[in-house]
Amino acid sequence: MDAIARIKQLGMPRRNDELWTFFPVAKIPAPEFPDACASEEDFSGETDFAALLPVAQNARTMVQNIADGSEEMALLKCNNDFGRTVLNIGKNAKASFEILDNKVEHQISAERFDLHVGEGADVEIFFANPANDLPLKFRHFSIEQSANSTVRFSSIERGNGISRVSLDCHLRGNGARFEIRTLNVLGGSSESHHRLHIYHDVPETTSIQFSRNLLDGSSRASYDGSVIVGNGCTKAFSSQLVNTILLSEDSSVSVKPVLKIYHDDVECTHGNTVGELDADQMFYLVSRGIPAEKAKKMLISSFARELFYPLPDSPAKRRLLQVLG
Amino acid sequence: MLSIKNLKASIEDGTQILKGINLEVKPGEVHAIMGPNGSGKSTLSKVIMGHPAYHVDEGAVELDGKNLLEMEICDRANSGLFISTQYPTEIPGVNNVEFLKMALNSKRAYLGQPEIGDDEFKKLIDEKMALLEMDERYRDRGVNDGYSGGEKKRNEILQMAILDPKVSFLDETDSGLDIDALRIVANGINHIMSPEKAVILVTHYQRLLDYIKPTYVHVLRHGKIILSGGPELALKLEEQGYDWIEEK
Ligand SMILES: Nc1ncnc2c1ncn2[C@@H]1O[C@H](COP(=O)(O)OP(=O)(O)OP(=O)(O)O)[C@@H](O)[C@H]1O
Ligand SMILES: [Mg+2]
Repeated sequence: MDAIARIKQLGMPRRNDELWTFFPVAKIPAPEFPDACASEEDFSGETDFAALLPVAQNARTMVQNIADGSEEMALLKCNNDFGRTVLNIGKNAKASFEILDNKVEHQISAERFDLHVGEGADVEIFFANPANDLPLKFRHFSIEQSANSTVRFSSIERGNGISRVSLDCHLRGNGARFEIRTLNVLGGSSESHHRLHIYHDVPETTSIQFSRNLLDGSSRASYDGSVIVGNGCTKAFSSQLVNTILLSEDSSVSVKPVLKIYHDDVECTHGNTVGELDADQMFYLVSRGIPAEKAKKMLISSFARELFYPLPDSPAKRRLLQVLG
Repeated sequence: MLSIKNLKASIEDGTQILKGINLEVKPGEVHAIMGPNGSGKSTLSKVIMGHPAYHVDEGAVELDGKNLLEMEICDRANSGLFISTQYPTEIPGVNNVEFLKMALNSKRAYLGQPEIGDDEFKKLIDEKMALLEMDERYRDRGVNDGYSGGEKKRNEILQMAILDPKVSFLDETDSGLDIDALRIVANGINHIMSPEKAVILVTHYQRLLDYIKPTYVHVLRHGKIILSGGPELALKLEEQGYDWIEEK
């Protein structure tokens, strides 16, 4: 079944659809599709509208192959409302991809990224663009990891519109490791939503999810992260942590951790904290003469920066910390 | 220079903690404040600095004739008041040295002075760290982040040394310090002290006062200063505790 047919079969996202629980689905414009789908891939198993949309719109596909054992740094930018990028990363390759924002300004943009990560490969993929004004932005990631591969996904969202990142990651080989760090710095009426499914398909796999939110104005963030540990998948480790600081009365955050574990010998943790700026830390800084506005900025910036400190020294870390000033 | 008159302050639920504190501190003086646990010593330091957990019910606090109680917290600090807290707060993401520089430059801006140059600041911090025999590790870490109790206290005095306040209120700086550290920190405080400045020390033990000789010793109990005297009072308290005072 092609992507257009599949979208028509699924219908538009609805609030009671568990992939769209926190999303303002009424704001998604009903798409007009081309006459025929250029891609003949079978999407009958795909359930996320955002994963199908770029394909159904016949987005131009960019394929990048990274040879076994090679080292590569690349910028990914699609110059259209809809885009698709397929990254085939060879065995033991080392790759760093920065995703740049579209400059197009229409009602909606949707991009899809497919990552096939070879054995022992080390991949980082990140974005940290200046605030963009796209009213509605979807980014879908479909990741498959072979044995002993590592993927580190890092992002800073601080747009003025509504963005949604959906991500499905399959850890298909022993020793595979997936890490995601997302920071939302939102104000006004902006929204940022994350929806993840991480599948521990084999034993001895690791997933780390860490999300931080700094929410001002009437902004909203949501984090809907599911971890699925398959039957017989011993020694899986997964952690999920979401920390939010609400800087205003009207901002809000929703967190939905889901663990589906079909085996005993696994370690899965999740945590979620929501608070305001620490009053003792504020007092300490101002009692040393630092004006309150500046002290507040220091604490906000340190909360944000801390998220990326654990990253190895790499283009991603440098870029993300540079963006945070 | 620091004048506290009939200061009364309470916490959010209305309980009054400070019940009329009077204290006059002149340049060159060292005041020791002693008193049982829970008597209001730490509260006094936080109230004069303007901690938001306390409400001032009555009284006045002036620094060189300026009404502190009407000033923003940062302005109180930049006017020359320093308080070292009993339990220094950890701020993991904020680098200790950058924080010190920011604090010093805030004071300079308040006083209409230009920012300190990088070389000058480095010289200053090197000198003060040497004075307090501080480990290089302090430079790269977050403010008090993972410091031991004693390291935190030493870091407080480093801040005092850098900011060079007129009046320092040091709350149990001696607790948590080992014997050598106590000597080093006390010497540091003596070094920073000068005839134009004043220090208020809160302590439970005589041993700090062996190093830093107090001009006056005060006993604070139930939110009031109930007795003041010279250095000999501390010795008597060490021997006899506090109960004899109320018996009088
Ligand atoms: N923010 C607060 N909320 C509730 N109670 C408080 C608060 N601050 C002070 N108190 C109470 O006020 C009293 C005085 O506290 P404070 O910390 O000033 O005592 P202290 O003299 O410094 O004692 P210690 O010698 O143990 O350090 C105590 O009973 C304490 O519980
Ligand atoms: Mg105390």
